[in-house]
Amino acid sequence: MSQVFHEIEKKIITSLKNNPKQTPENLEKSTNLSPDQIRRGIEWLKLKELAIVNESQTVNLFLGKNGLESFHKGLPERRLLDLLKNESKKLQDLQKELGSIFGPAMGLARKNNWVDTSEDKIFLKNYPSELPGEKTLKQIGENKISKSELDIDDLSSILKRPDFIIEDIIKTKEVSLTENAKLIEITTGSSSAINVESKVSDVFVARTHPLKDTIDEIREIFVTLGFTEIIGNMAQPSFWNFDALFTPQDHPARELQDTFYLDGLSAKKIGTSEQIRKISESHKKSWRYYWDINEARKMVLRTHTTCVTIKHLAENKPDEARVFSLGRVFRNEKVSYKHLVEFNQIEGVVVGKNATLRDLMGIQREFYRRIGITKIKFWPTFFPYTEPSLQTMVYNDRLEKWVELFGMGIFRPEVTKPLGITKPVLAWGGGIERIAMLKYGLDDVREFYNNNLSWLRSATKCQ
Amino acid sequence: MPVVELSYSRLQKLLGKVSKKQISDSLPFLGLDIESEDKDLVRVEYSPNRPDYSTDLGIALGLQGLFGIKTGAIKLNIKKSNDYVIHVEPSVTKIRPFVTGIIAKNGRIDDTIIKQLMAMQEDLHFGIGRKRKKSSIGIHDLDKISFPLRYTTTKRDHRFVPLNSDKELTISEILDNTDVGQDYGAILGNSPQVPLILDSKKQTVSFPPIINAAVTTVTTKTRNLFVEVTGINKDDAEDMLSVVATILQTAGFALVSTKISGAKNTSPKLEPKKILINSVLINQMLGLNLTNSQIISSLKKSRLDAALKGKNIVCSIPSYRFDIFGPMDLVEEVTLGYGIQNLEPILSPSQTLGQTNPISIKLKSLSLIMIGLGYTEALNSSLTSKRVLYEMTNREPMNMISVLDSKSQEHTILRDSILPGLLENLSRNIHISYPQRLFETGTIFSQGNPVNETASFAGISAHQDSTFTEIKSILQSALKTGFDLDIETKTFSHPIFEEGRTASISVHGKTIGIVGEINSKTIENYKIRVPVVGFEISLSGLIFD
Repeated sequence: MSQVFHEIEKKIITSLKNNPKQTPENLEKSTNLSPDQIRRGIEWLKLKELAIVNESQTVNLFLGKNGLESFHKGLPERRLLDLLKNESKKLQDLQKELGSIFGPAMGLARKNNWVDTSEDKIFLKNYPSELPGEKTLKQIGENKISKSELDIDDLSSILKRPDFIIEDIIKTKEVSLTENAKLIEITTGSSSAINVESKVSDVFVARTHPLKDTIDEIREIFVTLGFTEIIGNMAQPSFWNFDALFTPQDHPARELQDTFYLDGLSAKKIGTSEQIRKISESHKKSWRYYWDINEARKMVLRTHTTCVTIKHLAENKPDEARVFSLGRVFRNEKVSYKHLVEFNQIEGVVVGKNATLRDLMGIQREFYRRIGITKIKFWPTFFPYTEPSLQTMVYNDRLEKWVELFGMGIFRPEVTKPLGITKPVLAWGGGIERIAMLKYGLDDVREFYNNNLSWLRSATKCQ
Repeated sequence: MPVVELSYSRLQKLLGKVSKKQISDSLPFLGLDIESEDKDLVRVEYSPNRPDYSTDLGIALGLQGLFGIKTGAIKLNIKKSNDYVIHVEPSVTKIRPFVTGIIAKNGRIDDTIIKQLMAMQEDLHFGIGRKRKKSSIGIHDLDKISFPLRYTTTKRDHRFVPLNSDKELTISEILDNTDVGQDYGAILGNSPQVPLILDSKKQTVSFPPIINAAVTTVTTKTRNLFVEVTGINKDDAEDMLSVVATILQTAGFALVSTKISGAKNTSPKLEPKKILINSVLINQMLGLNLTNSQIISSLKKSRLDAALKGKNIVCSIPSYRFDIFGPMDLVEEVTLGYGIQNLEPILSPSQTLGQTNPISIKLKSLSLIMIGLGYTEALNSSLTSKRVLYEMTNREPMNMISVLDSKSQEHTILRDSILPGLLENLSRNIHISYPQRLFETGTIFSQGNPVNETASFAGISAHQDSTFTEIKSILQSALKTGFDLDIETKTFSHPIFEEGRTASISVHGKTIGIVGEINSKTIENYKIRVPVVGFEISLSGLIFD
């Protein structure tokens, strides 16, 4: 038996081993515990199926005022018979002698043919040595006696007399040990053990948002892969969101239906005059159209975080760098289980004279490995500002299909040259909610922004 | 991304001995994402820079290269002819200056091809044509047209029977009453003159960029085609024409040239362009050691021509591949021909040390303090609605920043405060057990130069016994633990908060936010059933400078 017992339980078990059937009151005496301690101890033992409690009911009887008077002085009819034992007496004399009990005593004596009347006198006819009820009175006396010890016939003869016999109903509990409990060896030792097996209630922990956890995890992975985090604005001039990334001004992606333009807002300063001149030249040459600076000034909610990284590169022109930007991006889409208008993206670049496409693929593979995805492959795709362009496909075991994750490529010379960036720039990026959906097994991306407390309180934190 | 539906059995006919599985495994390596499959049919997404992939004929050309069935560039065999002349009149110069065209003879077209040609036409219009503004295309039944043609202009009362109509309409009626007229009429502006192609019998052939004439409608009985492209830029028009010419030749048509003259227009050449590359660039970009012959063979698999010339490789790019601008595009073509699956990823040691942005670190620390205080983190959109921001909270909209033409009513305005979003969150959780305590850190927006973005921090506590003291104490503790700041509170009023139970929060004499009990009107608006207290402060100067 490897169970641990509370001190209370130990005392009760020990006492019951010595004296197998006890009432709680007995246990109080034998263990020196308080009634409340005994009550709790018995409950615990019952839950552990170590104690049995049999409940029974006993009726105790004791004498009331009239009963006691009869015990001391004799029953009224006995006292009447005793007065008549030596001589007959007048009714008036007897009335005087016995007072209020004369009536009932006389009635009984006549009915039982113990006395008779002649002229004005009452005389004894019969003197019974024991009257009904006398035995009971004698047995109870001044004590309390269980009903079961009495002669029921004799008792019933006086039970109904007013204030003779009083019934006291007592419910008693009898505690005993189960067979298992009898085998328990009580040892002295730890005195603070409690019932560790009982159920306890849930406490809701305050916690960071599950999506934030994923964001932090991804951020940390790239930091440990040598990337430095940069932060930029969500509202950007079209210049950095589109023009600098070789997206022509008449390109469908720039239309209102895909991009959020800020009503009536344009940026006065969008870049250096050299940046503006060179980018406009690159557009005119490649896309053959009239490049309009006012179009480039229009403020949009960034559609990717690449605008932050490209601006950083344009300003710093590093020969060797790893930077990333992580944050909210916006698309003018109908909200559905797979599309949000606002979601998180991470986008990073590697600048270096020896940076190759295989390095870019290697960084991606390492990232996926660290978030627990090992089944990946690369497919070609198209982005306006990278060439070659690839996308990663990862295998989702739950959905049993390949799903698209990060896109990547090498920045086109049409992007880097006008901004004075001379070394190859590997770029990669993608949505974070998609990864978080895989992680939390969600099929509806909106769940992340519903702030549904029952989900926030139950989503597994450590995974 | 546009989608095209393909039939495996048709592709197999075009390719020869290739299994269905080989095809479906290879489609992604042409950059085609399989969207869905149903027995013989497969729907693939293709990128808008490859309009040749809008037809199965174009995709078959790509697959032939990957499988090595046929490699190298597709050459256009255009028979020279003087029979098909288009005269361009100077009046078009100001409205739509260029026209080009080609003849395709002796072909057979079934319903599938007609359907694909129409889809390709729409994709060309949308992509390179910039919704027909830059260039647009018309495909006609050659046998219904008498050459020479005139590309000219006409007034808006000119009448003809347009495609899909059985009666004559004027130009104005077409622009006002037909779908295409309404969609594209704006390209012509208010010009009283509009472009028109007339044949030698003065019969209308086409009203570009809006609609063809009904008389030249192409059906499955059509054997000979005339394709015209008009536009504001000659090169774009010819690029568009070359895609159609390539696909028609692949479909079995014999191409014949047109002769175009007048108003700076010339006959199309549709000749390949040459780009020089060398193995150094390719190997440097890909991290490989490919030989010149490996590079040439990879380019050929991508349906380009390439030949060694000294140390360089001369690449010949068919005119329909106008997505190729320069050497870096050829790096991609080599990659695809070589096969991405043959590129082994490598993890080179980083030359740089990584660093988390200090702002991220501080925001994270603040989050952890709030978690310690028993507050759960919420995340809300920064693009939200007038309802949440102002109507529910009785705040007056001031200098709102709204977006144009949002597709979602719930996302139209950039938030200037976080608290309304948190209250909205409570209203959606009224059946969940209390206490409910939430916080959020995030960007709020205001009009500035042109937009100010600042970090804001808000917390909210909802339960039967929530009080001002509780929330002030939380904020005080958070700022003390986070930034060793002592706050001062002064009576304040604010539409979200209860009068007399609201205070401004200041630090070193500068007001940074507000704390208080949310007023009953706001709580009722949100149908919340317990008292709510909350705060919001700006983190400018604390976490941001």
